Amino acid sequence: MSIISYEIVYRGIFQKSLAMKISRTLVLAAVKEGKVGISFGRYSDSPERNGIPAKQFGYIAATKEELEEVAAQYEPKQVDLSICVDDALTKGVESWGWYGLQPINAVTKPGGTLIVTSNQSSDDLVKHIHRKDTSYNLSIVKGDASFAGLWVYKNDGTDARCLGAALKACPEICSMASLETAILENIGGDNHVEAARASYEDSRSDEIKPGEGNTEVPFTFELLKWQDMRLGVVIDAVGGHNHFGDSDGGYVPGRNEYFKKWSTRTMRPVVQFDKCTKCTLCWVACPDTVFDVTPDGYYDANMEACCGCGVCEAICPVPECITMVNEVVFEERDSQYEMWNKDKENFGTYVEEKIAKGKVENRHPITGLAGAFSGAGLAGGHNEDTFATKSLKEL
Amino acid sequence: MVTAVAEKGAGMELLTGSEVVAHICRLADVDVLTAYPIRPYDTVMQYVARMIANGDFDADYIPAESEHGQFEIVKHASACGARVFTGSSGVGWLYAMEPLAVTAGLRLPMVALVGCRALDDPGAFGTEHNDALLVRDLGWMINFPDTPQESVEMGLMAYRVAEDPRVFLPCAIAMDGAFLTHSQAIVQLPSQEQVSEFLPPYDRGDLLLHPDNPITIAPQANEDWLMEVRRQSSEASKNAYTVLKEVHKDYCRIFDEDVNPFIDEYMTDDAEIVLCGMGTMSLPVKVAIREMRKEGKKVGMVRLKWVRPFPTDELRVSLSRFKAVGVIDRDYSYGSPHHGGILFNEIKAALYGCDNQPFMKGFVCGLGGREVLLEDVRSMADQVSATAASGKPDNEVTWMGVRG
Amino acid sequence: MADSVYHIGTQDLPLTQRVNKIPEKAVEEYYTSGHRTCQGCESALIMRLMAKAAGPRTIILGSTGCMYVANTTYYSTPWVVPWMHTQLGSSGSAATGTAAALRALMRKGKMKEEPINVIAFCGDGGGADMGVSSISAALMHTQYNLLIICYDNESYANTDIQISGSSPWGANTTFTPPGKKVRIMHKNWKKNIAALYAVGHTKCNYVATGDASYPADLIDKVRKGLKEPGPAFIHTLDPCPKGWDYDPFFSHKLGEMAVESGLFPLWEMTNGELTYTGVSARQVYGKRTRKPVRDYLEAQGRFHHFIDEDYEYFQEEVNNMWDNWTLPGVIPFKLGEDPSKKK
Repeated sequence: MSIISYEIVYRGIFQKSLAMKISRTLVLAAVKEGKVGISFGRYSDSPERNGIPAKQFGYIAATKEELEEVAAQYEPKQVDLSICVDDALTKGVESWGWYGLQPINAVTKPGGTLIVTSNQSSDDLVKHIHRKDTSYNLSIVKGDASFAGLWVYKNDGTDARCLGAALKACPEICSMASLETAILENIGGDNHVEAARASYEDSRSDEIKPGEGNTEVPFTFELLKWQDMRLGVVIDAVGGHNHFGDSDGGYVPGRNEYFKKWSTRTMRPVVQFDKCTKCTLCWVACPDTVFDVTPDGYYDANMEACCGCGVCEAICPVPECITMVNEVVFEERDSQYEMWNKDKENFGTYVEEKIAKGKVENRHPITGLAGAFSGAGLAGGHNEDTFATKSLKEL
Repeated sequence: MVTAVAEKGAGMELLTGSEVVAHICRLADVDVLTAYPIRPYDTVMQYVARMIANGDFDADYIPAESEHGQFEIVKHASACGARVFTGSSGVGWLYAMEPLAVTAGLRLPMVALVGCRALDDPGAFGTEHNDALLVRDLGWMINFPDTPQESVEMGLMAYRVAEDPRVFLPCAIAMDGAFLTHSQAIVQLPSQEQVSEFLPPYDRGDLLLHPDNPITIAPQANEDWLMEVRRQSSEASKNAYTVLKEVHKDYCRIFDEDVNPFIDEYMTDDAEIVLCGMGTMSLPVKVAIREMRKEGKKVGMVRLKWVRPFPTDELRVSLSRFKAVGVIDRDYSYGSPHHGGILFNEIKAALYGCDNQPFMKGFVCGLGGREVLLEDVRSMADQVSATAASGKPDNEVTWMGVRG
Repeated sequence: MADSVYHIGTQDLPLTQRVNKIPEKAVEEYYTSGHRTCQGCESALIMRLMAKAAGPRTIILGSTGCMYVANTTYYSTPWVVPWMHTQLGSSGSAATGTAAALRALMRKGKMKEEPINVIAFCGDGGGADMGVSSISAALMHTQYNLLIICYDNESYANTDIQISGSSPWGANTTFTPPGKKVRIMHKNWKKNIAALYAVGHTKCNYVATGDASYPADLIDKVRKGLKEPGPAFIHTLDPCPKGWDYDPFFSHKLGEMAVESGLFPLWEMTNGELTYTGVSARQVYGKRTRKPVRDYLEAQGRFHHFIDEDYEYFQEEVNNMWDNWTLPGVIPFKLGEDPSKKK
């Protein structure tokens, strides 16, 4: 067999366990057949932060020597399989300030497969995924992105379904039987095995041709030579205080040109300026300094800086003024205030359409984020096998 | 103990090495100093305190709550453009290890007096060089004056080289505890005019931390950047060598001295063997050499004034004239190649492959403040001569003066 | 001539008093984008509000922690004002060294004299554990104008969440995970950081607690701390969606709940007089009741191993603090009886 390499591209923290389970289970399944492999998270992605994209990698080979050949280079330059577990990541991934924006398929090899968990169609996804010079295959695992908190794991079968699709795309990894055994040993029970099988059966991939996809040129960054770096580990501060647009009023802070953070978001705020009372709360409460102050005292969220936490929606006192909407229903990052200012009716339609397509529901502290977190005293929450339930006096 | 503070157009004073350094701080118009008590370096801080209280020296003088705090305070003061001074000894210096690494890594000039002292435990207040030498890999410059007079040169050179923008590295003045920190000798202090001519103001340029210069200093760096940062520091330490040589000419001119910037040679012109070492051991070594000369033995001494930057070229030129070289380490390096001391292994490495490479003998002597006795020096010289005569390398490293 | 009483002035920046006055009194940003902090990071909001409060004539020293690694990763920075990294336990030393340099250089005429804000921040690791000695020393230096801010997300967050001296009893962290035998691995109660500094450092004339969910209160406290000559200290409580395990959407709300439950009272001590502020003032001086602390704890995944008696213990501690302490959140003991009167 030839060496197989793969990557899992995921949301830091929210999908950390998910990515690890997928990555490890593939290796463990292959090992059942006498193959060798390694699985690891990219060290410099850690400590992971909520939502910041991160990667896990895995290699599988027939022999130790072959494995060494590929593992000698820490991060693979090309992978057979890219597994993306949040379709908002298909717009591009920016883990570090100097990586620039990396297309989701940046290291997918020619003829390799990109698997994406998504409710979108292939055509929708291809609008976001940057074009490549070579062809690759796109396979969709239908469903919402699966998120969980740091301390609990949301056991919704996403891992099994991704594994089924991975095996379909890359049958050299192992046999279905080995995968099933590995799933039973590392992930869950029979329902997980069934989910993997069903995903395997249903999985289809579309060939994406060279040049097909998002034509945006992702911003890049060239690393400096030591002679060009300032002494003493010194860099320039972020500059500037500006007026809003071409006006003489408002306030727009300087923003860092190297790290834009928008690839951290799975959802973005949509602001209905007609309803806004200019209370200032969204602007004040945003940890990411996202809002620009307009000359007439509105607050316009800058879509280059927003990482999609939702605090603005939570704090806004006006019902339905700010709504968090799934990032994938948007194609652009334009200023909503300018859209509204230019044509209020058009903007109203735009807002309605986006909210209808992708409003994020079911926010709850612990089971919020579309069922992301598990917590105390809630059905389907904590797993009582995990910790003692005796009182301190009894222990 | 402390005599009258020197006035302009200084005369001769009876001063300890520590007090000399205190005067250098005053003459250099140091801006911020931090103190923490530990022997034997801290008398320098006591002298400084008296100067400030009496109005002879204007600086912000801060007794800190630990050595870690002490070094952190001046590190930050240096980043803001203040000329700084601090110091410690032994385990106190160890307690400051975190800022020691960072200060060099961030290219912050700082001059620190290391009152060399054995590392605890077991505690001894006497001198050993391990404390000062611990920072030799980090970018720190390190010099070893051997007398109170030479402390003038080492103190002034420290500031001049450290603050040169081609260098911007901290410098440790490593001073033998008791023998130099606490022993007085007649010293000619320089005048304020001379020092002001030799030391330009400290100017960090666009690296200065100040609201007029918005910068971020030391964001966290990972594997994509760190190698380049280290490369810059490597360049700086190479520059330290060339800048030192260059500015030493100024030193000699302004202070009317004629000394080698890096090494001190004694009776080497016709020597067959030499002894190498650092610090105050130079006195018993010189006296023993004079005695041996009267007996017709052709022994000399080559003493290192600076160990960082290491005077590789100077030593290759100098030591290759001799049949054998004995290195006296006032330090230990357990488990090292041939169980030799630090200086021994460094000089040996420096001489590797040079023409007429001499034989080398290693000695460990004078630890924990034990004296380097004249008979020890004679014995070491004889052992080196024996090696020279044998024509064969002898890797045995000898510990001198140990009972048993 | 050395002058031991030389003082540089301080900046007197306008107080906002209400959230909707912030755009008028403090619109400019001195901490902006470029940081890769978690979604919903309240510590990042503290940084933003702190820098906003301080303005352009400021030098900030940031010790190791999330607000170093997540904010500033070479070649990127969110800081508009000059900023320098310092070590985890060095916020006190960094503030002292910076203030000392400015004072010495200005006094000697080597730098133009002007009041420059010096702020050093640390996390709870640096403020309750490693950095206590340097902060303690800094807070007695009356000749240096400096402000130390401890942003407290109740863990060593940057190393992927471990217990600190400021972590709450029973919290799940990677050093204190609940397991099959031991449910409560962390049995120490949270240290009272701001009180420790306020009570023990009588020449430190401004100490306060703050919370980014009350931004006007926080901005004003920063400005008051900067205006007060000499050293000042502020402790903030910052909900951390990663370490506390909750949907980032609720970051602001959790910050409110901490104060509403009485667990984290908001107060300020100025020149020997202590007052409570905001919601806590209504609880102390007025009739506002405290909300059950259980609601606050249940909203966080890091406590999801708690059983009834754990919640009860927490509530007892909070009740005790409010009912029996001389000053809730600040002075935990009372004057005892005259021992000579006891038989």
